[in-house]
Amino acid sequence: MKYFFKVMLAESWKQHRNYFSNKLIYVSLFLWPFLSFMASYYSYKVFDIEGSVVSYISGGNIMVFLLIGYMGMSFFRSVVQSAWHFSFERQSGTLEYIYLSPASRMAVILGNALSSVFEGSVAMAVFGALIILYNKESLSINVIGLVTVIPIFLCVALLWGAFLNACFLYSRDTDFLFTVLEEPMEIFSGVKVPVSIFPGWARVISCIFPLTYALEALRQVMLNSADISSVKNVVIISLVIILVLLSATLITIHIVEKHMRKTGNVILF
Amino acid sequence: MDLKVLRATIKKEFQIRLRAYPVDFMLGCILTSFYTVFGAWMMYHYFFGKRLATDFSNLTGTSDYMSYAIVGSLVYMFVVRTCLNVSRRLITELREGTLESLMLAPFKRTSYFVGNMILQTIMTLGETAIAMVIGVFFGLKIHDFCFWKFVIALILSIYGFFGLSLILGCVMIYTRDTYISQNTLFTAIFLVCGITFPKEYLPGILQFVGNIIPVTDCLTLMRADFLGGLTNGRFIYIAMRIFLVGSVYVFTGFPLLKQLEKIALEKMEG
Amino acid sequence: MIEVNGLKKIYEVKRRQNFFCSEKEKIEAVKDISMKLEKGQIVGLLGINGAGKTTTIKMLTTLIEPTAGTYSFDGIDAIAHPDKVKRQINMIAGGERMIYWKLTAYENLWYYGQLYGIENSLLKKRIEELLKIVGLEEKANLPVETFSKGMKQRLQIARGMINDPKYIFLDEPTIGLDAIVTQELHKEIIRLAKEEEKGILLTSHYLSEVEELCDYIYLVNAGELVFEGTKKNLTDYVFSKNRYVFSVKGMDEAIIIKLRDHLRSIDLESEVMHENGNAVITSKAELSANIAEFAVNESLIINELHKLEPSLEQAVIKLSKNIESKGVDIA
Repeated sequence: MKYFFKVMLAESWKQHRNYFSNKLIYVSLFLWPFLSFMASYYSYKVFDIEGSVVSYISGGNIMVFLLIGYMGMSFFRSVVQSAWHFSFERQSGTLEYIYLSPASRMAVILGNALSSVFEGSVAMAVFGALIILYNKESLSINVIGLVTVIPIFLCVALLWGAFLNACFLYSRDTDFLFTVLEEPMEIFSGVKVPVSIFPGWARVISCIFPLTYALEALRQVMLNSADISSVKNVVIISLVIILVLLSATLITIHIVEKHMRKTGNVILF
Repeated sequence: MDLKVLRATIKKEFQIRLRAYPVDFMLGCILTSFYTVFGAWMMYHYFFGKRLATDFSNLTGTSDYMSYAIVGSLVYMFVVRTCLNVSRRLITELREGTLESLMLAPFKRTSYFVGNMILQTIMTLGETAIAMVIGVFFGLKIHDFCFWKFVIALILSIYGFFGLSLILGCVMIYTRDTYISQNTLFTAIFLVCGITFPKEYLPGILQFVGNIIPVTDCLTLMRADFLGGLTNGRFIYIAMRIFLVGSVYVFTGFPLLKQLEKIALEKMEG
Repeated sequence: MIEVNGLKKIYEVKRRQNFFCSEKEKIEAVKDISMKLEKGQIVGLLGINGAGKTTTIKMLTTLIEPTAGTYSFDGIDAIAHPDKVKRQINMIAGGERMIYWKLTAYENLWYYGQLYGIENSLLKKRIEELLKIVGLEEKANLPVETFSKGMKQRLQIARGMINDPKYIFLDEPTIGLDAIVTQELHKEIIRLAKEEEKGILLTSHYLSEVEELCDYIYLVNAGELVFEGTKKNLTDYVFSKNRYVFSVKGMDEAIIIKLRDHLRSIDLESEVMHENGNAVITSKAELSANIAEFAVNESLIINELHKLEPSLEQAVIKLSKNIESKGVDIA
């Protein structure tokens, strides 16, 4: 177990030093979500906001509603991006050396996701500060709820990152996977439009993205002062997701290692 | 302009595309357009129950929000596709190591880029047509179509976007990066050029930034062709403005690019 | 000791026929390879026609599982327990990639050390030692991207030693390096084997390198072993005849003819050719004494008389030509 954590920490440290030494990465973590956030905010102005069908949204707190959305989004984005970066290790040959060592593959992949959680947290703090600065009054926070939801949110993000890591690492066309995952996440997980008002088919798609549940829980405890019992369902679903992602990642790693030892090829799909 | 180089470039690019058409790239762009439209559709129909703000029709000259947003997303897709291709051309040559041999040949850069642009425009028009069909499902309606105005708007757009691509190309060659620079530009365009909402909602400074990017004006003309709401005088005024701004881009872009190419090759040695 | 017997690897490749169907095709990358590697020994693995060298190394490093055959590693069944093997081996490949350029030399080694779960104080000591050995101790805290090719390659060596492996696989370690750096590396490789008792398996395209370093050679062609032995065994095997160069003052055609007659009386199959003012003699029998005797008898002044030792390169080229012309291995 000590060995596992050692590898995990070393990996996340390396990943941080290797990719985030380039300051430009922060453009993608702050500037892009911020520009998208502004675009979404102004596109709301086209509408009569008071006419919204969602009870807890009004002209006063719609900005905060969106900020929470983009805060979660940028967090998840950093996880996806770091997973995408890790897939470059296949081309650069360092992946082979990782495989040559007896280190736990899961530890490596988790460590990788962990590094981006750090970067994501910085982004999250900035968005959080913006929320408080801009419109403290519109917040209606249930502290116990928030304290419960945030660790779950982090866990979901971490494991989503680990799962994508496993997928990216063993896929041929990572660029495609990356584009296919990025935008739908923004649309379907309710960053801009709450999932609760989606038509049925869109709601089915939104179920795939863990960000959907994470955002719903965050908004409930931050805007609607919901206590744990009222976000119980979302929390339970998140815990199930954590288990599913964890086992999916473990299974993928296992299959890939077997496949690779048979074919000499890391690429699975 | 050297027609021989122009023809050769078109032929070469066409062959490359024919052999390895970047399907995922195209699909990615069509999907982006789809998501934009889908987002607008959700907001209009579900989030705000079709209730528009009172000043929307005054600012835009139409009350058909869906068509407004769909035309916006189509033009956005057109910009992304053409800019991406043309501006990435040189850096791709740099990365693949063919820039040096290109520089050795005493050809005119103008023809090379125009050739690229023409081919890309043809391809993108096809892709936009596909995206348009999707748009119809989401409620795209043509209210007032004038063929000549459309042709003028199209030619001016291509000219303006071409200028924009050259400048983006300069940035890419200089920073040797495509991922960050292209996406930053595209996200910024999406914000300031009035893709899904009238730019008048933006703060003054962002409106100004929007005005110096030719996409904003091109979009106004395109919307006027499909949705109406623009007087002829105003149309001509905006068209002139695009031509002017586009020319500034093109005539600073070319010499700048030439300079940067030299720097890029020197850097390669070091 | 590493010992493999009858190692075989068949890849199944899907060949797409049209959009819907694909056909499975079997490719036999390695047909039958048996070899041994002992501690303190440097063994060369040479391939003639691209020959499954990479697959063999990947099987030995447990990255790939053999289709058939046995692999015993210090008495452990390596196929069943790859994790036990992984702790005691490492690989060093040529080229500049495979290390993190944004990290410093020290950080690279630290990271790989963590992957092997090495205890921190021991790791620190080992990194310092290794950096000293490869002469990078002063550059330890500079990012790798500022390093020259030779320095990166030396860092690779340090990385390959981070877990203090008993056996090291060197895959084209000197590719693209200049002569001086190559020579330094050779010294280091010999030191590893002789002083630190590491077992080393080396593959290289430079036959002179294999000739200089390896105690024992395995030659592979199309997935099969065509030869094994020392370099001397190989050259003897390929060049079954002796070759001599002989020159005297005033060498002419008459002397050549006389020499030929003289030598034919001893070895009927001997050949004497006149090349660039020298006589080049090939024979089955050992003839140097007879040639010298001929010179004394004829009162000739000898400029040169020596036996030609064929290089490994010549041997391998000749061997591969033989294989090509016969279509099968010559063994």
